[in-house]
Amino acid sequence: MHSSGFFLKDVAGFLGGYYAFMAIMNGVAALLLWRRKGQVGWALVWTVFAGIMMVLASLALSGTADLVPALPLSVRTLVNRLSGPVLYTLGTFVLLTVLFVFRRFFVKPMVAWTILNAMLLLMGLSMADENFASIVMKPDNVPIVGLVFLLAFFTWLATSQAVVNDDRIARGLPPVEKENDEKVLVWPDLVYTELICMVAVSAFLLLWAICLPAPLEEPASSVKTPNPSKAPWYFLGLQEMLVYFDPWYAGVVLPSLVIFGLMAMPYLDFNKKGNGYYSIEERKFSYLTYQFGFFLLWITLIILGTFLRGPNWNFFGPFEFWTPYKVEVLNNVDLPQMFWVNLLDQPLPKAPSGASGLVQAGYILLREAPGLLVMGAYLVLLPPLLAVTLFRGFYAKMGFIRYMIMANLMLLMLTLPLKMVLRWTLNLKYIVSIPELSLNF
Amino acid sequence: MAEKKKMTVAEILAAARAADRPESAAQPAAPKEPEPASEQPAVEATAKPVLKPKPAAGGARPGVADILAMARAKKAEGDTPAAKPAAEKPAAAVAKAAVAKPAAKPAAAAGAAKTGVQRDTASILAAARAAAKPGPVAKADAPARPAPKPREAVKSTEEKAAPPRTVATLPPKPVKPAKKGADEGEDRRGFLQIAMGSAMAMGFTALSVTGGLFTLGLARFLFPNVLAEPPSKFKVGSKDGFPAGKVETKYVAQYGVWVVNGDFQGQQQVYALKTVCTHLGCTPSWLEAEQKFKCPCHGSGFYKDGINFEGPAPRPLERYAIRVADDGQLEIDKSKTFQEELGQWADPDSYVTV
Repeated sequence: MHSSGFFLKDVAGFLGGYYAFMAIMNGVAALLLWRRKGQVGWALVWTVFAGIMMVLASLALSGTADLVPALPLSVRTLVNRLSGPVLYTLGTFVLLTVLFVFRRFFVKPMVAWTILNAMLLLMGLSMADENFASIVMKPDNVPIVGLVFLLAFFTWLATSQAVVNDDRIARGLPPVEKENDEKVLVWPDLVYTELICMVAVSAFLLLWAICLPAPLEEPASSVKTPNPSKAPWYFLGLQEMLVYFDPWYAGVVLPSLVIFGLMAMPYLDFNKKGNGYYSIEERKFSYLTYQFGFFLLWITLIILGTFLRGPNWNFFGPFEFWTPYKVEVLNNVDLPQMFWVNLLDQPLPKAPSGASGLVQAGYILLREAPGLLVMGAYLVLLPPLLAVTLFRGFYAKMGFIRYMIMANLMLLMLTLPLKMVLRWTLNLKYIVSIPELSLNF
Repeated sequence: MAEKKKMTVAEILAAARAADRPESAAQPAAPKEPEPASEQPAVEATAKPVLKPKPAAGGARPGVADILAMARAKKAEGDTPAAKPAAEKPAAAVAKAAVAKPAAKPAAAAGAAKTGVQRDTASILAAARAAAKPGPVAKADAPARPAPKPREAVKSTEEKAAPPRTVATLPPKPVKPAKKGADEGEDRRGFLQIAMGSAMAMGFTALSVTGGLFTLGLARFLFPNVLAEPPSKFKVGSKDGFPAGKVETKYVAQYGVWVVNGDFQGQQQVYALKTVCTHLGCTPSWLEAEQKFKCPCHGSGFYKDGINFEGPAPRPLERYAIRVADDGQLEIDKSKTFQEELGQWADPDSYVTV
């Protein structure tokens, strides 16, 4: 580990270029806005902002570690103290909900540009923190930083078009895509575009590989596990799921269900609208379900696993030092334990020693009865209950089989957040726990 | 690339237009398609002109094929009215479109204005191509293409169609050598075929034999001469070397075992814990300060006696068999494991009492 001064000198060069890039970016934006009459006010705002960025750049390049702009230590400590898996997950949920509900406001170009600048500035200021930078600048974590910005951009792009289309549809006009649906040829238009993209991406990857060498480690050994031991970034969502479930469920059943569910989607979808154009209003259920699964159950978990999970898979704040000696008090309890021991105050039902297999199975069933009942109610009773209440219209349109598939996929998807919440609130480990058969849920 | 007798694009166009000019506007407007002249792919273009001759056959206007035949006949005689443009323009394929575009538009416009009849460049070119080389035919075209010729020949009043149709003036095509080969099968090509065929067969035989041997050779590696695994039974010294409460980690790197002198259900025991997390098989690390085994992969935690208490691990760590050997040393046998949840830790083989 560097001492703080040396470290800052290491990142100062990068930050200088970073702020200079932000200044140029905003300068160009201001110029474009200036030319487009009527946006003079915003042009001035971004010019001033570009100037500030230039000042930050020169401060970063000044050669003095103390002058590099950084978040105040008190703020960093506060963030570290506040952050935890509960706040992180609920926070992202609330944030995404707010973004969705007020999307008409957030997709405005100037608002989006402001948010982009805020994100970049926050990132730059955080980079002056040693712990933050050492995690973010790790070569295998850089793609996740890119992922955050790219996802934000593409979501904004799609949402802004959907908002425009929704407005048009409300006024009785066809969506934008229907108006200029000029067709182009696969050859040469598309193939040439693809060729150019291929060349550009190859060049980019080549440069990346040269600038950020792969983080190679010592030879693998079956008795040595790096701490923390992380899956490739695209599987970090899965790894986070595994914290809450038995491997067979989080590692086999849920991923298979994800693939199966994605494949089943076109057959479950009875909504004929929104075909070939962006729209949120016309397919609200599909949109929300997908975004919930994608953003909350996949992307935010990847980000959590990459940046916030440290040694021993403990949760660390963004500016916290990753020490393997962090103590987190956890004592997870299975549901049968809660029911029999904590609630009824009696020992777990256990077969007398030497009992036959059938008797043992009976005792296991008795022990797991509360969990099995809960699971049964969840998966067997809820779908019909939902069919006559919340999903009444769906059931009428989809028919029995399609509805049951849809409802069960939904419910199984929701087991993940439910289990997470139960773990945080009740310290619940497993609802059904039959270690004798390696069957836990 | 092109043969000497083959007509250039410019010649074909010129000939076609020359044939059009004197015609009267007696027929229904020919299918008008200004676009294909510029950029339509060839396949699509061929489909249309093939059908076109039908209306032309009855009327005064000769079909494209007829014009082409006439033009070819002229060229064969040496009389080349289209020589001038041909000299100027290259016949290369790329130039085709470039040449055709500027030429087609004014001509088409003029023709349309004068007579209401128009023959677009693409159809002419396509017809020319169709006549020159009946190359691969798209499925959609297949039935349409051969149809016009015989039908027209029957229907049309022979006076107009017959004379230009003398395609005989063309150099006779080399007609399908394949047929002959099929009859005899003994000529040089046939021999070559047999020779190639057998060479191919030989090649594939050799390939499969090599592949098979290679696979067998690979299978050999499944049975190595030397096994680099440590023996499943090993000694760790007398039990005095393990004071109460101590977790010995020095056998982890080689054997994957923690030797623990600990308290299990009120009994002081020495036992050997397997260093494999029961969640997904990572190697937990012993944290002396917190007195627990903690897995770096998903955060499972185990007490010193191996019982799981935090994180997702569903069951306790496993024990290896341990016993006091004849020489007084502790001997651990990794070939046998004991699982708590199956009640196997009560087995006296799974621990040594202190």
